[in-house]
Amino acid sequence: MKTPGARPYDRLLRLLPGRDPRERQAIGDDAARLLDGARARGRGALVSTWLSLLWDLAIAGAGRDLARAIRSMVRAPGFTLTVSLLLGLGVAATTTLFALVNAALLAPLPYEAPERLVMVWESNVPRNRLREGPSPGNLNDWVASSDAFEALTGWWTAQATLRGLDGSTPVTGVQVTKGFFEVFRRAPLLGRTFADDEYAGRPSIPSGRVGAEPILVLSHRLWQSLGADPALVGGTVRVEGRDWRVLGVMPADFAVPDAQAAFWTPWDMRESYSGPRFPEGPPREARFLRVAGRVKPGLSREAATERMEVLAARVAADHPRTNAEWSVELVPLREELVRSSRTGLLLVFGAVSCLLLLVCANVASLSIVRGTARAREMAIRLALGAGRPRVVRERLAEAAVCAALTAIVAIVFTAWSLGAAVAFAPADIPRLDEVHMNARVVAFAAALALLATVMGVLLPGLRGSAPAIAPALKDGAPAYGQHASRMRRGLVIAEIAVTVVLLVGAGLLARSFASLQRVDPGFDARNLLVMRIAPDVTRYRGAQVTDYYQRVLDSIRELPGVASSAAVTVLPMSTIGSDFYRPYWLQGARPAGNTLPQANVRMATPGYFETLGLPLVSGREFSAGDTVEAPRVVIVNESLARSAWNGEDPVGRTLVLDYQGGPTERLVVGVVRDARYDGPRSAPSPEIFIPHAQNPYLVMNVVVRTTMDPDALARPARAQALKVDPDQPVHSVTTMERLLDETMQQDRFAMLFVALFAVAGLVTAATGVYALLAFTVAQRRREIAVRMAIGASSRSVARLIVGESLVLAIAGCAVGALGVAAVSGLARSVLFGVAPQDPFTLGATAAVLVATVLVASWLPARRAARVNPVSALRV
Amino acid sequence: MPDRPRSVDHLLPLKPKVLHVLLALADGPRHGYSIMQEVAARTDGQVRVWPAALYGTLRELEDMDWIVESDTRPSDDDERRRYFALTPLGKRVLGAEVRRLEAIVAHARTSRALRGEGRA
Repeated sequence: MKTPGARPYDRLLRLLPGRDPRERQAIGDDAARLLDGARARGRGALVSTWLSLLWDLAIAGAGRDLARAIRSMVRAPGFTLTVSLLLGLGVAATTTLFALVNAALLAPLPYEAPERLVMVWESNVPRNRLREGPSPGNLNDWVASSDAFEALTGWWTAQATLRGLDGSTPVTGVQVTKGFFEVFRRAPLLGRTFADDEYAGRPSIPSGRVGAEPILVLSHRLWQSLGADPALVGGTVRVEGRDWRVLGVMPADFAVPDAQAAFWTPWDMRESYSGPRFPEGPPREARFLRVAGRVKPGLSREAATERMEVLAARVAADHPRTNAEWSVELVPLREELVRSSRTGLLLVFGAVSCLLLLVCANVASLSIVRGTARAREMAIRLALGAGRPRVVRERLAEAAVCAALTAIVAIVFTAWSLGAAVAFAPADIPRLDEVHMNARVVAFAAALALLATVMGVLLPGLRGSAPAIAPALKDGAPAYGQHASRMRRGLVIAEIAVTVVLLVGAGLLARSFASLQRVDPGFDARNLLVMRIAPDVTRYRGAQVTDYYQRVLDSIRELPGVASSAAVTVLPMSTIGSDFYRPYWLQGARPAGNTLPQANVRMATPGYFETLGLPLVSGREFSAGDTVEAPRVVIVNESLARSAWNGEDPVGRTLVLDYQGGPTERLVVGVVRDARYDGPRSAPSPEIFIPHAQNPYLVMNVVVRTTMDPDALARPARAQALKVDPDQPVHSVTTMERLLDETMQQDRFAMLFVALFAVAGLVTAATGVYALLAFTVAQRRREIAVRMAIGASSRSVARLIVGESLVLAIAGCAVGALGVAAVSGLARSVLFGVAPQDPFTLGATAAVLVATVLVASWLPARRAARVNPVSALRV
Repeated sequence: MPDRPRSVDHLLPLKPKVLHVLLALADGPRHGYSIMQEVAARTDGQVRVWPAALYGTLRELEDMDWIVESDTRPSDDDERRRYFALTPLGKRVLGAEVRRLEAIVAHARTSRALRGEGRA
């Protein structure tokens, strides 16, 4: 009456200890009946009955063996602890990456029907300008006549100053055009979002224009930092010197365009681009917006793209001056979010998985070595009548203890490393703030720990649990064949090769980082204190702004320890401040066509270049005489001078700058040295400086040259600025060296990350070599004994073993070198100031590797040298 | 010395699983599979016992002389089946446990908090 399903159960039942055959029979029979009954009730019942029966067996059978396994582990913890630590670290590394990848790539976007969301870009293939942000004019046309989208919206982010309870803080505001909350469809946590008629007539965030009452929707984070008071909805917050009514609060995971977004506010582009400066309304040639759309249901992305292309062609025909050859591109939002980091994350994930496999292979090696050591003991026990079930049960219990420990190690290390990864990771990995320990991550770690233990401990252990009794009892007989040994040798060589690649990578990145730090940014970054001031637009206008900054800079100069101070719209290395990229040409030489050269336009106060330590190449600095009434002047940098005047001294010449109110002629009074504005990796670009007094820009970065530690002056300098007008927000006080350092964050992260891997790989390779050699020595004990008996010295025997390790190291290095050659192309794009074939790095890697392998072979070699020929040869 | 029934209170309380097995045998001898069915039926499927654990428990109970393998069996039954029945000691233990539980329940009923809950 046995059913087929019961047979596997009976096989497991044989492992159940301490039951007589009759009882076993009864258990088997009853289980078969239960399974029969369950089968009649369907698949679900069958599965759950099976699971219950297995659990029942495990609990009834494993108690004693588990206790024994735990006892034996406590008595001799070395092996289990080592293995659990190794496996646990490997699992933790993989799980950490899984958590990152999970948050960044796999977790669904928190919007309704996110698969219909696309980003829209403008591309001009003939001129190789790809994926640029659409221009306001074009977006308006699309919104008016596209039938591909349910909703289409554009936005722009602006730095704004929020006046909170404890002073002011810089926040990122997002000004959004009509349809934003229809594209990113999401219910607000509190209150409401904007109604369709609330967009009209509302200017951009920094605009001082006073129109309708400004309104906004807060991000969850900003709402929290304002006290998380639900009553805030309906009240006002003070941003950029004006009171904004709070309509609602979005949920915590609503992060468009990113987690920096602090609030959203309606924006009517027609309002921003009206008046005499924009006779044709919103411009078409200024491509800077971010545009997203929700594709109509039932319309494929391809079909939507086709319709948009037709529309873009029509707009181009209507406006050839600005739109000729420009078309559009639709990119799924998910792809957009992860585009920059996808390859990197997946690559790293692959690398980590390889590492885990290596660790498993290694632990398997260790297990086999241990198995060999215990083969005799096993054989004796089997010969004395211990049942194989019992031996298998012991292995299972051992593996279970090991798996539990591994899981614990893995979870602890994952929790720790996730914190570290989030802290160290460059800010551009999307949605990183959503990474945390959750049930999914813990389950992944536990499952992986189990899998790793099965591969690394259980399977090799089971193999060793049933040696053929007679040969195993014969002294010195090899327990395993040549095949297994060759495979393990291959594994060790692979481990060494991977380690070589990692070591070379870490070495190159470290060298690259060092040379980044040596790069001359163009100015003297030491002893510079910087801060940002964003005065009220309602309080200061025109000459008042000039006067305000004059007084602030003067009061800071009064402080002891201050050598000089100045202000500028955008500081090198700083991410705050607005840059203007505007066209210019030489007086009387306006190039034909639409391709005008462009330069970054910045406003600076007198003494700026001296304060920054940026030397003038020719001409003069701005002076107090460069006022609104004085002739319009500019200072250009070397890059611009080179490209516009072919290196001739432009001082005294005139250029035309199309900026604020149309093209104006300006006299060049000085040329300043090039600086790397965006960090050591960036190349200098053309720059034009305008005296602040001739264009009194409101929001400025103040820079202070000190004769002492700039950090010590941070508080007093801020206090001096507030003394001039306590109501004007002064924030982001830091030092230039810190800003410079932050530009290298990504490089530092990459370096630390790869270095960590290299160390892990080194440990893996070392254990691998050790395990293999220890095994070899155990296997060749008789041969070694014979050599010694016929006169070989201990030293020559040790040399034999060390020689074997060197062969492994050299083979591994050779294979690794191939790997290095294969990835060097990839490395070139990341490295700075060091070639992928850097001989120093390659040499150091080889040296470190050989040294490690020699250390790993020391113990087995010593063991071989101490083989006692008499006892080893006794049969 | 004639056997005066010794108190069995030191054997209490019973583990839930033991109590359920003893209860299943209270109406007469049963075989293992039938015990499993009975426990599940009595508790509406809330409590299930599974074979490996059940036979372990049965052996323990046998060792303590609370149950005994019974010879009485239906004539048409599979002869491999083993029937178990309560011994007098087993009956006393079960009785004592039930009385202990009754006392607890009675005490709970007089408690004011639970009475209040009962009304609500």
